[in-house]
Amino acid sequence: MQVDFVGDAGIDVLLDADHRVWGQHPTTSVPLLGTPVGMQPTAAIQVAWMNKKIGTVDHVDVAALHNGREIAFRLEWSAATESSDVSDNNSFPDAAAIALPVSPDAPIITMGAPGQPVNAWYWRADEPQGARQLSAEGLGTSLTFDQRVIQGRGSWKQGRWRVVLARALRVESESPVAELIPGTATGFGVAIWDGANGERGGIKAFSGNWLPLELQAASGERNA
Amino acid sequence: MGRQLAMVMDLNKCIGCQTCTIACKRLWTRDEGMEYMWWNTVNTQPGRGTPRDWEQSGGGFRKGVPKPGALPTRREFGDAWEYNHDEVFFGEKGPKAHLQVKGEKPDWGPNWDEDQGDGDYPNSYYFYLPRICNHCTHPACLEACPRKAIEKNAENGIVTVNEDRCRGYRFCMEACPYKKIYFNETKKVSQKCIFCFPRIEQGVANACARQCPGRVRFVGYRDDENAPIYKLVEKWKVAVPLHPEYETEPNVFYVPPIAPPRYDENGDIDESSPRIPEEYLVSLFGPPVIEALATLHDEMAKARDGQKSELMDLLIAYKWKEMFGGFDKDPATIEWVKS
Repeated sequence: MQVDFVGDAGIDVLLDADHRVWGQHPTTSVPLLGTPVGMQPTAAIQVAWMNKKIGTVDHVDVAALHNGREIAFRLEWSAATESSDVSDNNSFPDAAAIALPVSPDAPIITMGAPGQPVNAWYWRADEPQGARQLSAEGLGTSLTFDQRVIQGRGSWKQGRWRVVLARALRVESESPVAELIPGTATGFGVAIWDGANGERGGIKAFSGNWLPLELQAASGERNA
Repeated sequence: MGRQLAMVMDLNKCIGCQTCTIACKRLWTRDEGMEYMWWNTVNTQPGRGTPRDWEQSGGGFRKGVPKPGALPTRREFGDAWEYNHDEVFFGEKGPKAHLQVKGEKPDWGPNWDEDQGDGDYPNSYYFYLPRICNHCTHPACLEACPRKAIEKNAENGIVTVNEDRCRGYRFCMEACPYKKIYFNETKKVSQKCIFCFPRIEQGVANACARQCPGRVRFVGYRDDENAPIYKLVEKWKVAVPLHPEYETEPNVFYVPPIAPPRYDENGDIDESSPRIPEEYLVSLFGPPVIEALATLHDEMAKARDGQKSELMDLLIAYKWKEMFGGFDKDPATIEWVKS
């Protein structure tokens, strides 16, 4: 997927999921799969989900743009109900995340491995105006290390979520953060949680192996 | 493995006054998001309990394999009713306003079926069952958590939720067969009984135990051979865990209840069968409850005959502070540190 350079779009434009700039650039339909029940990190979760559908969202429309300073992903998917509150013990919020490799060989299927972290940007419908930055080095190890660097905006209209996750291209952090440099390529992954189906944690729909992510050079020319 | 703290509750002494419940509530669950939480509950048995029908809600293990469990709703826990205090006290409506629950009329509460019990007059029966987290040796909550957010203290066996790691997924709540994990919707984390560890660390017994006017609760390490827990659980074997078939190995034990004798149709005392059916007690505490009851009857008879009974002396708890396995310091000595 190409991340087009839109030099004149400020961060407020990028964070507006309904802004026309998003319609002027291609969107990629990414098919999603439920995470395998055998890979759930505890036996209790495996038993509980043995005969239940994991990952009810089967695809997500993804677009990404950068303006030389910030990069934004727009995720759009169908959700018959808006699950955005946690007001009872059995209600779970819809959620979405982008995963990026910190080291090029970090495995995405296991959310990283010891010494090979994966960086994730995580948005949840019960906190629609914000997002968390996480790192993980294996299943069940994700750790929120930042709640300010990633900007998130989400809204549900007529059966569809539109969520934007954005970050400065260059960030300095002691925690494992993915590098995103215009004119270079990396990989990305997407995950969507259907709160109405009780999806949370490792129970989610995900995009499988790393998908290619090419950041157009800030000059606007195609990568060499 | 380190030591394990435990509690024994003598059901023959519990009068259902809920002082334990309130002691816990005032100390630990007064913050926002905790309104519906009662880490300590006392319910009438037979009864549906708190949360409603928790004994039929799954969780725990069967032959070592986790058993799927339910997520009880706030309403099933009994919720925290809101009252029209403003209207009654400040609404200037005089006798026209009556104290009542705001909104929809509740159909359940944390002590809804109090004193109903079972059986037919004159042989009806019930008893009170106080419950806290069992701080299990094989905690289903801890094993279910994908984030390793639940910890069992290596030195004392107390099971706690690390709220920094918890993300509110509630797999623990599903897994706990005793339904003693609560979700805090404000903090978005799971919370539970902490066995009053900040008191324990300073040599002070749990609030529920120390405040009990009936001297129901014994506290201490399971391996302390000179203290009541060891004597009641291991030596006399009169204290048994609740629902051992859930396979979590609870560390709260109960001295089973003995009701007054039955009456026959002529109104005469009928001692051929107990008032509380044995099969009911077996359904709660497993087959070892039969032996425990037999021992209690034998020792009660001995005491009635004027003989010495170590067990009866222990259960009567002549010396209150000896119930606490060395955790007998005055709570006024606690140095509270606000975080």
